[in-house]
Amino acid sequence: MIEIRNMSKWYGDFQVLKDINEEVKEGQTVVVCGPSGSGKSTLLRCINGLEPFQKGEITVDGVSVNDPATNLYKLRTEIGMVFQRFELYPHMTALQNITLAPMKVRNWRRREAEAKAMELLERVGIPEKTHEYPANLSGGQQQRVAIARSLAMEPKIMMFDEPTSALDPEMIKEVLEVMTDLSKSGMTMIVVTHEMGFAREVADEIIFMDEGSIVERGTDISFFQNPKSPRTKDFLDKILI
Amino acid sequence: MFDAVINNISYLMGGFWVTIKLAFFALAGGIPLGILVGLGRISSNKWVYYPVTLYVNIIRNIPLILVIFWFYFVMPIIIGSPLDPFPSAVISFIIFEATYFGEIIRAGYQSVSKGQIEAGYSTGLTYIQTTRYILIPIALRRMLPSMITQSIVTYQDTCLAFVIGLPELVRRATIVDTLEVRSIQLFGFVAIVFFITCYIGSVISRRFEVKREEGG
Repeated sequence: MIEIRNMSKWYGDFQVLKDINEEVKEGQTVVVCGPSGSGKSTLLRCINGLEPFQKGEITVDGVSVNDPATNLYKLRTEIGMVFQRFELYPHMTALQNITLAPMKVRNWRRREAEAKAMELLERVGIPEKTHEYPANLSGGQQQRVAIARSLAMEPKIMMFDEPTSALDPEMIKEVLEVMTDLSKSGMTMIVVTHEMGFAREVADEIIFMDEGSIVERGTDISFFQNPKSPRTKDFLDKILI
Repeated sequence: MFDAVINNISYLMGGFWVTIKLAFFALAGGIPLGILVGLGRISSNKWVYYPVTLYVNIIRNIPLILVIFWFYFVMPIIIGSPLDPFPSAVISFIIFEATYFGEIIRAGYQSVSKGQIEAGYSTGLTYIQTTRYILIPIALRRMLPSMITQSIVTYQDTCLAFVIGLPELVRRATIVDTLEVRSIQLFGFVAIVFFITCYIGSVISRRFEVKREEGG
């Protein structure tokens, strides 16, 4: 579903991503972890074309992201993205946040879009918050609305950029539950997170990034038990406590 | 008790009308120019950004009364004929207020988080759709209370035009006062007129602020 080949990116002279190779198959969940500044978020932003990259290739469902002929707007309708700080539109209710893109991009009728939104709010467990503005929602509720907003476009892939890092501990669980269900339902997912419990439960592959490179990769438990590099071991010791 | 005011009411209200007209033209010109100034201040084109920034910094660091004076006395030298106080005052106000409105617009634009814009793009919205449905509504809501406050300030500032002899409300009260010597009631009347009109404006402004909180 996603193929990244020999991909590199620079900010001026500074190389943020170094020769990245990765493949995410349909229905897989890949967890990306690593210290801050290691290029995890930048990698996600390159996959949906929010940021350009200079070398290599990324294809999503057969479409090349860096081909100038590619319609990035169209490509992004297939890739949902959830942000660390939720980024809900503050002037719209939960319902309006969710229906905006289906109505404007997919040209759905209001009634259709609202029915879909209600179904999704039900799915993320907050149907009673339909007409609330983001300011009146807790962090966990906001993030669940943000997930519903992305799902409303019926994307083939969902990307999560540290979705629980800005949340209080008691809200982390409710968001992770939604993500776990989503992963188990067969959604193709790339998740930047340090929630190793989540990784253990649903990840088909865990990759560890440091200084712009993928330094370690493993399927589930092997990753935690015998990290090959001392850098990974050190990092895992810190986040697993 | 208000004899001096009552005896000269039509003359005084004529001055109030001049005040209203001046405020109207100052805002009708100052807000559109302010929008252009605001766009210039967020422009990435240095040929736009630097001249606009220079203009904003110069004007914002000069008292309004000097801008009015300067324009009134210097323009005739440049254009070769004397300028009426009214158009001269209108132009001075537009030049001055546009810098303040421009800064409000710049701040409103910059208050919209880059993440909200990217969230829009991530769902497939185009540049125009993102601007239309996300950027502009959010920025406008944040700007509105400041815009109304600045409009009220502009309206109050119009009385500074008396320095170039424009017969607006304050100027006319001064003229009546030299004849009737009733300073307290005359300027009390002027204060009441300004208070009532500004108070209405601030009530409207506060309503927008409450609305903004409801809507995040």
